[in-house]
Amino acid sequence: MIRERVVAAIAPRHTVHAHCDIPCGIYDPSVAEYGARTVARMVELINQNLGDDLTQRNQFARCVAVKEQYAESVKHEIRVIWGDYFKPEHVEKYPQLHDLTWRIMKQAGKCKQTVDAQAAAELQALVKQFADIFWETKGGRPQA
Amino acid sequence: MARITRPDRLGDQLPALQFRAGLRLGIGLAALGLALAPPLVKVARSWPLRSAVSGESMRPLLRPGDWLLVDPEAYRARAPRASELVAVADPRDPSRWLVKRVAAVGEDGRLDLRGDDPERSTDSRTFGPVEPARVIGRPWARYWPPRRIGRIR
Repeated sequence: MIRERVVAAIAPRHTVHAHCDIPCGIYDPSVAEYGARTVARMVELINQNLGDDLTQRNQFARCVAVKEQYAESVKHEIRVIWGDYFKPEHVEKYPQLHDLTWRIMKQAGKCKQTVDAQAAAELQALVKQFADIFWETKGGRPQA
Repeated sequence: MARITRPDRLGDQLPALQFRAGLRLGIGLAALGLALAPPLVKVARSWPLRSAVSGESMRPLLRPGDWLLVDPEAYRARAPRASELVAVADPRDPSRWLVKRVAAVGEDGRLDLRGDDPERSTDSRTFGPVEPARVIGRPWARYWPPRRIGRIR
């Protein structure tokens, strides 16, 4: 009773906003990492020399389509984080950010054009570097 | 017969001692008053502007739910300088108050504001430099929660 009255008496009369327009914490590079892993897995499947019958050819075509789709998803996810999440302060601290993003775009393109395990591994490594920087700006990667 | 004086007896000195003690107490209280008066005046004039923090952009200094005293007089005599805290009316919606830090003062006297956590802040990077006339006061103390009471800067 008394406590409530004291709290009511000292309670603030105004609000000062230490605000942020954009809802925070909605960005996550995991989707891009997952996409790069999928690309690598598809390269692996395609390289398993599927046979020539119709079902196997269908399977082959599907793998290529999925590889294409996920390489594109990597590009999309990375572009969004690069363009919307990272701010000038981050680029100052991580000057490699623009180049890294550009290299991911190129590498994802290369993964679309080829069936190259080495290229897919390289894409995964680049995306991981990007994700590491992202999590460093967030104060650490959350424990899965 | 010579008069025997007994200066060692407390009783003879009591009035003088009492006077001195009283004097000391008076001086002490006056000094205490002088020391406390300016902060008390500042608290009194800040009290009507007591404000609750909302949002994360001033972390780690300010957390959502902190209660602050905002001194409306602090920037009357002089304009805010770089690195000082300000409460300002949002240039996009003056009914809304913001708390930010002055990153720099432009040549035209306008204030370039930033959040302490720029990653989670909407500030002059979005709404541009702010007219000093929009400054409401200086957040200078936190009075809640009890564990973090004290001056802020």
